[in-house]
Amino acid sequence: MGNNALTILHVEDDPNDVLLIARAFRKVEVAARIQVVNDGEQALHYLSGSNSFSDRENFPLPSLVLLDLKLPRKSGIEVLEWIRSRPGLKRIPVVMLTSSKQAVDINRAYDLGVNAYLVKPVNFDGLVDMVKTLDAFWLRSNERPGATRD
Amino acid sequence: MNPGNNRLFGTTHPPGRAPLSRTGMSSDCDAANEEKVNILLVDDRPDKLLALQAVLNDLNQNVVVAKSGKEALRHLLQTEFAVILLDVSMPGMDGFETASLIRKRPATEHTPIIFVTSLNQSENQVSRGYSLGAVDYILSPIIPQVLRSKVAVFVELHKRTNEIKRQAERLRQLEETAFKRQLTEAVDRLEMETKRNRFFTLSLDMLAIADFDGYMLQLNPTWEKTLGFSEDELKSRPGPDFVHSEDRPAMIEQMERLRDGASTTYFEGRYRCKDNSFRWLGWTAAPFPAERLIYIFARDITQRKINEQKIESLNAQLKQRVQELTDINSELEAFSYSISHDLRAPLRSMQGFADALLDEQGDQLDHTGKEYAQRIVSSAKYMDALLNDLLDYSRLSRAELERESVDLQTEVAELITQLSCDIQQRHAAVKAEVNGVKVSAHAGTLRQILSNLVCNALKFSHPERPPIVCVRSEKRERAVRIWVEDNGIGIAPEHCDRIFRLFERLHTSQAYPGTGIGLALVRKGAERMGGSAGVESVSEQGSRFWVELPIA
Repeated sequence: MGNNALTILHVEDDPNDVLLIARAFRKVEVAARIQVVNDGEQALHYLSGSNSFSDRENFPLPSLVLLDLKLPRKSGIEVLEWIRSRPGLKRIPVVMLTSSKQAVDINRAYDLGVNAYLVKPVNFDGLVDMVKTLDAFWLRSNERPGATRD
Repeated sequence: MNPGNNRLFGTTHPPGRAPLSRTGMSSDCDAANEEKVNILLVDDRPDKLLALQAVLNDLNQNVVVAKSGKEALRHLLQTEFAVILLDVSMPGMDGFETASLIRKRPATEHTPIIFVTSLNQSENQVSRGYSLGAVDYILSPIIPQVLRSKVAVFVELHKRTNEIKRQAERLRQLEETAFKRQLTEAVDRLEMETKRNRFFTLSLDMLAIADFDGYMLQLNPTWEKTLGFSEDELKSRPGPDFVHSEDRPAMIEQMERLRDGASTTYFEGRYRCKDNSFRWLGWTAAPFPAERLIYIFARDITQRKINEQKIESLNAQLKQRVQELTDINSELEAFSYSISHDLRAPLRSMQGFADALLDEQGDQLDHTGKEYAQRIVSSAKYMDALLNDLLDYSRLSRAELERESVDLQTEVAELITQLSCDIQQRHAAVKAEVNGVKVSAHAGTLRQILSNLVCNALKFSHPERPPIVCVRSEKRERAVRIWVEDNGIGIAPEHCDRIFRLFERLHTSQAYPGTGIGLALVRKGAERMGGSAGVESVSEQGSRFWVELPIA
């Protein structure tokens, strides 16, 4: 996919949200490939390239992780903590994309080094706006971390 | 007889004038002066008396004179004499007769008598005189030195005798004083002991003396009053035998400490009563190692212990209440969390897909449009279910659940009938092995619990085999455990606890639809009815959920 071969990993258990966010990405015409996993364990497998995700051609390391908080098997917080503890993954930008506005969740996410915390808007237009901002900031403006370790 | 010699002694000392002091202890006596003793001179001739007196003056003693035997006897009645010089030949009562009368009186039977006699009569008189108790003879005419020295011997003898008598008297007095003191002390001691015994007898505490082997040697009556055992029964076995088996090791340890030299110990333990109940006693014990005895003061502290236990149980209740409140609080948190998270998601879907429908398929509702529409419907359904379950759960947390005896067999049979459609569709088999079992439960809640468990067992079936579900009962102590066993997909051990929490799910709702409330409701319901719930499971092989409820 050449220069545009950016990948976003979307960790989301709600298939409706998956569809809606995918649609929003389409609407904004984000030049990135979205990979979706449905629970925390799958996210770990994807990021570490284990189980069915060992093919890095088809499942490349993402430039951005969109992470829901409430997930089956492993919560978003657990996934975030795990990412920040892995030498090869710890600098990947992680954006929480969740329904929870609870201060305890927000603070915990920042404590663990999240890059941004977004609350899913109920309104679809709001979601589109949010995806636009995401695209502009994280995929276009933001300088991504280098590929070298440490 | 030579009267001429006798006439040498003329004047007499008047007998009444003679000093009568016998003890010489009078305070006005010159300290330098020795005690004077009395010497009695008896002669009918004044000249002889005078001569004797003159000779004996040198001895510096009291000399008393008597002119006849009668007068001599009179003096002897009043006065004690160290020695008597007695003229043998006197008119009337002669010397021998006088001597024999003197000897007859006990007070004077040992008073030394020296006979004074003339030379010519000596032989006959000497033998008679000795037979009458004379100690010596003086022949007249007298030789002053001989007379003086002989009398001096008796004076000295008398003085010594008196001294010995006085010493004996002093000793006797000392002994008497000592004896009186001992007697007083003994009486005092007896009185003290009586008082002490009164304390011992009247004490409300239990007092006892025990030996080092733990046997009671002496007990006050409070023991019997408190425990019901007689004194003999309590003495018949070592103390630890009466102590509650749980407290006995501690008591034996205390006794060892006392034997090893601890000064005092305090110990609380339950002591057996005659009626086999137990009373709490608090013991203070002090050892007397020399006598190998232990002095024990024990007090009935049963009431205090009961109060302490009450306080403890109240404290435990309080803690439990606090825990319950904490639990409710955390559930409320989970509840509000779910409102902000789970409940908003379907709303969002409805909105999102409705938007998509209008935006993209507004003019023509083709297949996709219909699908979007379908999704709105299913999301609405889901939200409905979610809200319903949440309401159920919160109701279960708050409502008073009145328990009654519920027949398990009836409930399970009804449930199977209700679920028969679902069972058929899934090609499942549901067996019940709960014959004749009754539990104490709130019927509606029990029905909901069983329904949730059996529905789960049907739902989480293994893709490779039709579900087989078995509802079994197992009698436990005062409880019944109801097992709902399946051959489904099972649950990994690390998730077994998590699944009972509110909104916890192991699978996406796509794979296994549900609200994540069902099992939380099962556990909450069981707990609200005084029971508990849990699961034993092997991943890929099946699960065995259980609910334990009090037996009816």
